[in-house]
Amino acid sequence: MPASTAVDRGPDLDERIVDAALACFSRWGVAKTTLDDIAREAGCSRASVYRQFPGGKDVVLDAVAGRELRRFFDGLRAVLDAAPATLEDLLVAGITCASRALRDHGALQYLLLHEPEVVLPLVAFDRLDHVLDHAAAFCAPYLEPHVGEEWAPRAGEWITRMVLSYSLVPATFDLTDEADARRFVRSFVAPGLTASRTH
Amino acid sequence: MRERLLAAAYDCIARYGLAKTTVEDVAREAGLSRASVYRTFPGGRDELIREVVSWQIGVFFADLAHSVAAAEGFEDVVEAALLHAHRAVGEHAVLQKLLLTEPERLVPAISVETSRFVPLIAAFAEPYLAAERLRPGIDRREAADYVARMVVSHIASPGRWDLADPAQVQALVRTEILAGIVEPG
Repeated sequence: MPASTAVDRGPDLDERIVDAALACFSRWGVAKTTLDDIAREAGCSRASVYRQFPGGKDVVLDAVAGRELRRFFDGLRAVLDAAPATLEDLLVAGITCASRALRDHGALQYLLLHEPEVVLPLVAFDRLDHVLDHAAAFCAPYLEPHVGEEWAPRAGEWITRMVLSYSLVPATFDLTDEADARRFVRSFVAPGLTASRTH
Repeated sequence: MRERLLAAAYDCIARYGLAKTTVEDVAREAGLSRASVYRTFPGGRDELIREVVSWQIGVFFADLAHSVAAAEGFEDVVEAALLHAHRAVGEHAVLQKLLLTEPERLVPAISVETSRFVPLIAAFAEPYLAAERLRPGIDRREAADYVARMVVSHIASPGRWDLADPAQVQALVRTEILAGIVEPG
């Protein structure tokens, strides 16, 4: 086999490897996926995978998580930018979009079912604080017109906690359903955002 | 025998860490045979570790329930719980040591087991909610489940909140946790 073929190079090689890894994780989970599996799926050599992601599977997993998070926030941004002006509609739009993105993510759902120990630590202890910080900064500009500058990041953190909890642990509310999400927002969220203005 | 093995395993983990604790260590510490360990925990070391973590989380929440016994009214209960839980996590020597030295082993086990406790915490909260005036349209079970999720979420990851500060804990409880659930006043 030639040392370097067209399929082992190219500007989109990283992307192909990440796509391939995602497909493998959706099928077999992380523990059972080998670099050979990923390379085969990507149509490149194992050496290429190592070269692009020195450190092996853990580095590939980080890259996959990073890219999927970017895509998640891009999708959410598109929905929020187009959302109607009322706070309730904004919250319902954001919460349903986020919840659906999590529900429809094949690899994530496979891992939650078969390898929860891979996913849940990413949203626990220090890592959760980190996720909340990032999500709060993302949500704040959308919430500011409604709850003010001081409370917007806290509100963003709060909403993120709720979406994560109800999406990752089996729940009474189905936040992917607009009617359920609206009832949830009216019941638990909106009153808290009003109360926060007086504290 | 099960309790004896769990206690022995916990002592070994405190001393040697998660990775280095073997079935032999636990058997020796408990004064029992390796065979008796495998009889009680057929899944071997992995099952034993999972069960120790689950047991310790149970101890944590039992202690938490005890700590709120004197509180009056659900708002006080939740405030007391957050203050106590935050302090207890910080003061738990073995937990803090393992978070520092072996987070990649500890956090997965804790995360999986903790999520199983949400319904138990909700069940604990329900009687308190039954004694409160709930806002119109609020379903008690859904409210208890919501409170349980929020409390669990904050315990290990306080985010922007300083859970050592009673004033902040009060603000957190009155706004995010209970504002939608309990009638004010």
